[in-house]
Amino acid sequence: MKKRLWVSIINILIMSSMLAFVVLYSTFESRKGTRTQIEHFKNTTITMERVTENYLEGEQRICDVWTHYINTKEMTMEEAVSFIRVSHVLAEASAHIVYADTRVGLSTKAKLGTTDDYAVSYNTADLQDLLNDTSWISPIGTSINVSRAYTNPINGKQSIAFCNFVTLQKDDQPTQAILLRLLPVSELISTWVFPKEEYESAELSIIDADGDYIIKGASFKNASFFEFYRSYNAIDAASAPEFFEKITTTAGSFTMLNSHNQECIVAHKPFDAAGRWTLISLMPMADLATNSQNWLLISVTTSGLLLLFIFDLVVMRYFNKKLQAAAKVAESASQAKTDFLSTMSHDIRTPMNAIIGLTTITEKNLGDQKLVAENLRKINLASNHLLTLINDILDISKIESGKLNLTPQNFSIVATVENLMNLSQPTIKEKNIDFSFHISRMDKEYLYADQLRLNQIYINLLSNAIKYTEPEGKVCIDMKEEESEKEGCVKLTFKVSDTGIGMSPEFMANMYQPFSRQTDSRVNKIQGTGLGLAITKQMVDLMQGTIDCESEQGKGTTFTVVLDIPVADQQRAEMKLEAMEVLIIDDDEILLETAVDTMKSLGLSVEQATSGLEGLGMIRHREETGKNYDIVIIDLKMPDIDGIETIRRIRSEIKTKVPILLISAYSWSDVEDQAKDAGVNGFLSKPLFRSTLYDKISEILETETESAEIENDYSDLEGMNILVAEDNDINWEIISALLSMYGITTERAENGRIALEKVKEAEKGKYALVFMDIQMPEMNGLDATRAIRALEDPWASSIPIVAMTADAFAENVTECLQAGMNGHIAKPIDIKLVIKVIQKIKEESKQ
Amino acid sequence: MKKLFRFAAALMMTSLLASCGGDDKEEFKPSLDPETKCDIRVVGDYSNFEALEAEFDKFNEFYPKVTLSYQKIDDYTNNLGTALSKESDAPNIFFSYASCMAGGDKYESARAHMEDLSDPSLKLNLDCIRSGLLNHGDSGEVYMVPVFSRTYGTMVNLDLFKKENIEIPATWNELLAACQSFLDKGYESPMMGYSAKDSSCLMNTIAYPAFVAELAKKPEALAKANNLDPEAGEYMRGALTKVKDLVDSGAIDIDKCNLISDNYTQVILRFFEGDVPMMIAAADTVSGTKKRESQSTAFSESPFEYTYIPIPLTDQGGYFIDSPSVEFSVNKDCENLDMTNEFMRFLVRTEELNAMASIKRLVTPTKKLSFDPVYAAFGEIPAERTFSPEGLGVKDPLAKQIRLASFKVGKGTLTVDEAVSMYGSLE
Repeated sequence: MKKRLWVSIINILIMSSMLAFVVLYSTFESRKGTRTQIEHFKNTTITMERVTENYLEGEQRICDVWTHYINTKEMTMEEAVSFIRVSHVLAEASAHIVYADTRVGLSTKAKLGTTDDYAVSYNTADLQDLLNDTSWISPIGTSINVSRAYTNPINGKQSIAFCNFVTLQKDDQPTQAILLRLLPVSELISTWVFPKEEYESAELSIIDADGDYIIKGASFKNASFFEFYRSYNAIDAASAPEFFEKITTTAGSFTMLNSHNQECIVAHKPFDAAGRWTLISLMPMADLATNSQNWLLISVTTSGLLLLFIFDLVVMRYFNKKLQAAAKVAESASQAKTDFLSTMSHDIRTPMNAIIGLTTITEKNLGDQKLVAENLRKINLASNHLLTLINDILDISKIESGKLNLTPQNFSIVATVENLMNLSQPTIKEKNIDFSFHISRMDKEYLYADQLRLNQIYINLLSNAIKYTEPEGKVCIDMKEEESEKEGCVKLTFKVSDTGIGMSPEFMANMYQPFSRQTDSRVNKIQGTGLGLAITKQMVDLMQGTIDCESEQGKGTTFTVVLDIPVADQQRAEMKLEAMEVLIIDDDEILLETAVDTMKSLGLSVEQATSGLEGLGMIRHREETGKNYDIVIIDLKMPDIDGIETIRRIRSEIKTKVPILLISAYSWSDVEDQAKDAGVNGFLSKPLFRSTLYDKISEILETETESAEIENDYSDLEGMNILVAEDNDINWEIISALLSMYGITTERAENGRIALEKVKEAEKGKYALVFMDIQMPEMNGLDATRAIRALEDPWASSIPIVAMTADAFAENVTECLQAGMNGHIAKPIDIKLVIKVIQKIKEESKQ
Repeated sequence: MKKLFRFAAALMMTSLLASCGGDDKEEFKPSLDPETKCDIRVVGDYSNFEALEAEFDKFNEFYPKVTLSYQKIDDYTNNLGTALSKESDAPNIFFSYASCMAGGDKYESARAHMEDLSDPSLKLNLDCIRSGLLNHGDSGEVYMVPVFSRTYGTMVNLDLFKKENIEIPATWNELLAACQSFLDKGYESPMMGYSAKDSSCLMNTIAYPAFVAELAKKPEALAKANNLDPEAGEYMRGALTKVKDLVDSGAIDIDKCNLISDNYTQVILRFFEGDVPMMIAAADTVSGTKKRESQSTAFSESPFEYTYIPIPLTDQGGYFIDSPSVEFSVNKDCENLDMTNEFMRFLVRTEELNAMASIKRLVTPTKKLSFDPVYAAFGEIPAERTFSPEGLGVKDPLAKQIRLASFKVGKGTLTVDEAVSMYGSLE
């Protein structure tokens, strides 16, 4: 909050500084402009003074010429007036000649309204002052002898007079008279042409040395300019004389308030020749063409800065929020990782502790075979958990770095489900969970997808369901195949429901985030990385599928994964069995429904019973009627009498030899012997795929099938010789020992180059295949494979090579296949998987 | 129904309040295009007319593009006719004086240009002017509208009266007593005024109101006086005796008064010296006091309160001689006559005429005399002692006779009897 305040304050300070600068600069420029304008106005006034003075001089010269002529011709007043009358050029001009002593005389023009009244007198009160004192009239040619403006008594117009003394003949005596050449003030004013566009409101006046107006502009008030100044401007008595003296003696300018209280610029310029007259120009400052303040610039700058400030605030606020959110996420992620590392440390150390501890105990009790076996089993469990943990960590690392790629291949969904069942059986059994697996309309057995990742999705969801379901709880899988909107695909829905602890809505909101585990005392007791759901979600997204979850705390959880999976090009040949009558006994009505449906599609005639007793009755009835069923399929777990008891009664009470298959969703290991003793002919694992039923029934009926497998028969592997390229002694020892358990012999190549040499030198058929480590000294596994594939010997170049490496990522698998290998087994090795791969290769070599 | 009644009542109240608030503030509503551009020129014999220029500024608030100017015409009475006869640039408004222009051939050309300002279409508010100041023609025409009026009286230094603990005199005897008190306290001339020449002399200022009052009482006397009948000289006796009594009693020291060199500025500046209890002067002179307060060093250093009162020439008090000082006439032949009349309509209102009177410090011609404290005393004079010479029909020759007679009696060049007997022939 304080930081934000500081940022705002700094922003405002910067804005204020910029604005202050703009205002100051604008003011400076404005003042500069005003100074320039004032100077220009002053210069214009000086120019006007020159124009006026030139005009006055010109008019005075005319007066001088007349005077000179009159003086030289010794004229009478009448003659002089006649002469001037003839000499007049200007219509508005006139002349008066009056005797100096009497101040009466004649006018060149008759009094207005008369035709013959030329008499003129300067003896009236108002005009006396003009000629009472004639000292202001200088001798001819020495100066401009111009009068103040006065009313011409002949025409009533305000006029000025240019004067000279003339000598007239009166009574044959030379008599001094005064010649006045009168021009209307309007004539003078017409010479004052201000540049209108600049000084439209400018006005001029002429004042004398006392400030009295000679000519008065309209805006000038009072009878005297000085009085005008005093009336509207403060000036102390002491400084006034000096100020007014300056106005009438020097050129300059000053400001004053006029009668409208407007600030005006006043320029003054004394005339050089016309007595002590001064030209005064006045104009309101507001009308001076100065860009007073550039308010537009200030407004735009202010608005711009304000907008910028608001924009900055909004954007900063937005980014701050994002940063805060990101920081929160990062902090949360960091905390999650810290928690995760803490958990990992705990989770890794726990199985490691078991492995190390049990190994130590075993070493000290090698003689106690039972203890050794038990310890080894526990070590194996701990190792597997550790492996899962490591795999999850690696997966999430790849997901987070965006390096998780899919490697699609043809695979059997039946095998996938079997694998799923196999993996989950131990836990289901351990927790005595009521487990069911329903399938519906699974027509397409072979699909094209990344089997490994699909397995991972299903296994994660199922293992979570089992993991978080209390003992005696219930876990149910529903799998169905539907038509997909995507061409060449089927829509595969995988739904796992449990009656486990469920999840809180808060946790569900973030359950797909890595490293998140529900905070629950029950959860804390369960091993987990907090990565399973994150990995699952990422993989479903990668496969462009959907995953939905419904959960209620304390009641259970249901995850539904829907994937559109391409159908493999090759499917099994049409599966049809001879027409036979089959009885299926199961308390699971859904299973009954789907199984009946499936078997009918195989060409079988099916009857069903929902309990062992009902089944017994139906079989007894058939026996009595001589129409025995061809095959009876019985579920292991049923409410009244279980499957084994039902078989036992069939064999003991009815004594029929009808082939009986026992079906179960659980592991066989515990009941296998018991079932065989009861008289079972074979076992079927739930769910009942079409192919599973077809294969098993065919096998029971000794019908040959293309895909029948012999379980747990490794006799064909005996005597096989495998070349193992492995630089690590322990790893070599492990694989060698494990394979030897199956009667397989091995040879070691310490690096890729040796492996290459051995294959090159080997006789045909010496090695059934090569297990190739990847990271080895001198020559790595990939280069060695490429070299082998490049050999000339067809057997050697086509020898099966399977990668056996700790480089377990998909891209590593792809790299291996691209180098020419036939398969990939990740370390640590699962011997069962290794054997399956060997068997597969062996089968392929037969073909 | 109730609602209707309430509405009507509210409307009536609003109307009543509006009419009550009207007072004498007649609102000016422009009737012409405010964008009208023209020139209006006023001419007169004032060398400057700031009060009128202030009105120009106010009028420009309504008509900003009208240029108004005032111009003095030298030798006004002689040149006015010429100025009005010009083919172009003739003035729109000109000063007129009922006392001299109402008759005689000299002003015939000026009268010919005068517009009848009583024309109702012009909508001039002539009612705001004191009726005695308006000079009506035979048919009620009004060619001249007074903008200032003049009267006669004395300026009184209130601080001196206060200082000397002397009451302001309200009657003739109180005046004499007050003057005597001042004399006793060492004041050499308790009353002063201009006495160098007869024009605007203090003697006329004392005598003229008394003479007019005497003539007003006797209509036959006025006719004789106007006709300069020597018999009318007897009507001056009372007025001249007042002058003589004041001089003889020492209330007025003529020698000291003679030192005042002009009848305007010097009279004021002398009064502002602060040692004269009463300075006799016409109101025209009083008009110059405000401006000269700052020009007088003595007054600036020691300002005092002063007022202007009628000289108490009777036992009841003084006379209020109410004469037009300056009147305006409109040149009916001028350019822009509509705007000229619009300006007159603006100007002839109590507010504007009082504003002008305030600036010029002249007596306002409006009925609201009390607005200026200097002249407030004249507003209290009852009608029986208020006279309008122009209303009575006093002519210039009569005024000249009483002026010369009083001047000479005051100067001591004629006795009262001589002056009375010389009526009609005094030069």
